[in-house]
Amino acid sequence: MFLRNTIGLVRFCVIGSVFAMLPIVVGAQWKAKDTEWASYGADLAATRYRPLDQINAANFSDLEIAWRIKTDNFGNRPEYKLEGTPLMVNGVLYATAGSRRAVIALDAVTGELLWVHGEHEGARGGAAPRQLSGRGLAYWSDGKEERILYVTPGYQLICLDAKTGMRVPGFGNKGAVDLKLNDDQEIFPDLTTGEIGIQSAPVVAKDTVIVGAAFREGMTPKSMRNNKGYVRGFDVRTGKRLWIFHTIPKKGEFGYDTWLNGSAEYTGNTGVWTQVTVDEELGLVYLPVESPTNDFYGGHRPGNNLFGETLVCVDLKTGQRKWHYQLVHHPMWDMDISSAPILADITVDGKPVKAVAQPSKQGFLYVFDRVTGKPVWPFEEKEVEVGTVPGEWYSPTQPIPSKPPAYSRNGVSLDDLVDFTPEINARAKAIASKYHLGPVYTPPSESKIDGTLGTLTVGTASGGTNWPGGSYDPETHIVYAFACNACAEPIGLVRAPKEVSDMNYIAGTAGEEVKILRGPGENAGADSPVPPKKRTGSGYVPLNVDGLPLLKPPYGTISAINLDKGEIVWQIAHGETPDVVRNYPALKGMNIPRTGQETYNIGTLVTKTLVIAGDGQITTTSDHPRGAMLRAYDKKTGKEVGAVYMPAPQSGSPMTYMVNGKQYIVVAVSGGAYSGEYIAYSLPSAE
Amino acid sequence: MVKEEKRRVRDRWLPRWGAAVLHPYGILCAICFVVVLVARAQEAAPTSRSVWDGVYTEEQAKRGEELYRKECASCHGDSLVGGGGAAPLTGGTFLSNWNGLTVGDLFDRIRKTMPQGSLGKLTKQQDADILAYLLSFNKFPAGKTELQKQVEFLREIRFEATKPEAK
Repeated sequence: MFLRNTIGLVRFCVIGSVFAMLPIVVGAQWKAKDTEWASYGADLAATRYRPLDQINAANFSDLEIAWRIKTDNFGNRPEYKLEGTPLMVNGVLYATAGSRRAVIALDAVTGELLWVHGEHEGARGGAAPRQLSGRGLAYWSDGKEERILYVTPGYQLICLDAKTGMRVPGFGNKGAVDLKLNDDQEIFPDLTTGEIGIQSAPVVAKDTVIVGAAFREGMTPKSMRNNKGYVRGFDVRTGKRLWIFHTIPKKGEFGYDTWLNGSAEYTGNTGVWTQVTVDEELGLVYLPVESPTNDFYGGHRPGNNLFGETLVCVDLKTGQRKWHYQLVHHPMWDMDISSAPILADITVDGKPVKAVAQPSKQGFLYVFDRVTGKPVWPFEEKEVEVGTVPGEWYSPTQPIPSKPPAYSRNGVSLDDLVDFTPEINARAKAIASKYHLGPVYTPPSESKIDGTLGTLTVGTASGGTNWPGGSYDPETHIVYAFACNACAEPIGLVRAPKEVSDMNYIAGTAGEEVKILRGPGENAGADSPVPPKKRTGSGYVPLNVDGLPLLKPPYGTISAINLDKGEIVWQIAHGETPDVVRNYPALKGMNIPRTGQETYNIGTLVTKTLVIAGDGQITTTSDHPRGAMLRAYDKKTGKEVGAVYMPAPQSGSPMTYMVNGKQYIVVAVSGGAYSGEYIAYSLPSAE
Repeated sequence: MVKEEKRRVRDRWLPRWGAAVLHPYGILCAICFVVVLVARAQEAAPTSRSVWDGVYTEEQAKRGEELYRKECASCHGDSLVGGGGAAPLTGGTFLSNWNGLTVGDLFDRIRKTMPQGSLGKLTKQQDADILAYLLSFNKFPAGKTELQKQVEFLREIRFEATKPEAK
């Protein structure tokens, strides 16, 4: 065994109180209460909605910190990127935490630590493509037993007894399933260093645990060959594999012919790294599939590349495909599908529709009938620009939803450039002149010192709605989604030297050394860096004007989108105007409305009356000391009705629950100098 | 069994911490420490500098650039823009993360967590050089003295995103 398990770094037993709150049995099937938060997205429909109203417009600003927990010691060093959303069931809060990706159980009222579980995976954990604490875990109960499931950085599915934090011996091999095995592929090059993992939370529906796969950042892969990101279902009682869905079809399977020249054989990635959604009643699973190998160059995988960037509906019991819709043909913008599909029972033209709504980086909300896969409002295959990168294969069209309208910026024209003053605008234009501009689906271009450095895009890699996804109010049929409206992404392609990559092109900037880029949570020791070379005169220009974002505000927005009508009801700038804008000398005295912030990882929470989300950047204003604000908006109008101070930006999406008649909001904060912390807010007790 | 375990935990920790914290000399010591800190803070205020006061040299930034390319650029990018979640080291988010703190806080963060895959690989001097490069890349002016490698000194250099207006 290459794993050394250290179970229960700390183990206090859960005493009396928890046994007194044994889960309620509803028939044979256990059901979460609507005062609980039993799944990453609040429920399997990914609504991030709870019908609680103790915390409301009148008192939101009175919120106090009920308890808080720093995650520094859940790992051998602090973590500054805490992205988890905890679960809360039966008065116990469960979360992933720290650089160990430990699982912690806390008393949901006091924050007292009940138990901790950590897996020491050694070299395998160190080589994992997605390290750090991840986004969360899954809870399961049959009314008697309670289990917690999560995936380690080293890609093991671990099943814990929710009462003790001990591995459940009857699940898999002593409580663990090695996800690098039994995956219908040999993980290359070996089980220790083989690139595959995941940072999102598994989901459990009707006794089936569903797990996807993630890889390194895909801008600059070393090879066109990589492991594939299949999705699997496991029996929650035994850990036995029930089904697998091949996100890249095998020979003879549907969609194999969308990979020309046999490219399905070697192309990798194409995983489901974000959250999966399930309709238990229909017995259907919704899989948001990401980009195939090389985010920005598809020359080695000609064809449309199913199921890359495709929403796939499969059967919960068998994993058999029911329907699919490819949102982006032959992906080359890293649009992935980055967040959970949202299930919504809506009424369109007087008719009830069981719908699924998919937020996206490109700012389209794709709405389908979730039974048939037919768009609720038709998509039009529109002609898009065909690029000129040698060897690339271009799809002449892309599907554009006729409704609702795009809710965030997804193309760049000169009109989008910052124009606070003519001088600032002139400098922004000078920067933009070095790039190829265009509307959504303007293709990546070669980076040339004496030409353009690439295509300047927005609504691609880090634009629009990213992993936190949207939220949904089942009563009013409105989706609420944060979007980065100004996350400009230059996509330039450079020829890859043979010693760097076997691909023709990878992402890069002309004049700069071509190298493999890594993301955070990857072990730099796993593949030694390419030695630096002398620069030949870089063409790089920073995409900001003295720190001012290159694109016009609003930089980040929250949109309310009515799904019965396919219309945007309101849209507001979310987040305090950044200090660099407020303090910019040439802007002194100008009346600049709140700009919002160009962050890409903000999740929203919906309650009976409020939409709640925190700032993604630190500011210092006359209203609050250096910090960030957790804000509440009237969900009908988008008007801000309250705010409460956080010491650091929101880095994981907020959740809420009620225990003993008291409502709590818990949010993960971290970033910059502030290491990860979960903070629970509640109203002050009556005097 | 449960109680046993709890007591063991308490027995292990309370005597040590309890003795240090609750001992009268311990308290006296702590008070002295605080007094010294306060005095230092007050002392430092009038002479404190910001990143706009030329706190590193061009030579140092050059050394830092070499190191940056070798140790940092594979995640944070040649242009310091980060990517795929690696924090940007330039632009709005970077400036907002550190504005109002000190260069020492940024140094501390680098020491504690970087380079991610091979923590502890770089010396304090190398980290200070890399920090000099970050300041230089972000257009904070160079000066005549090098950025020091002692975090205590670096904590006295304020990180201000916006250039103060000339008085």
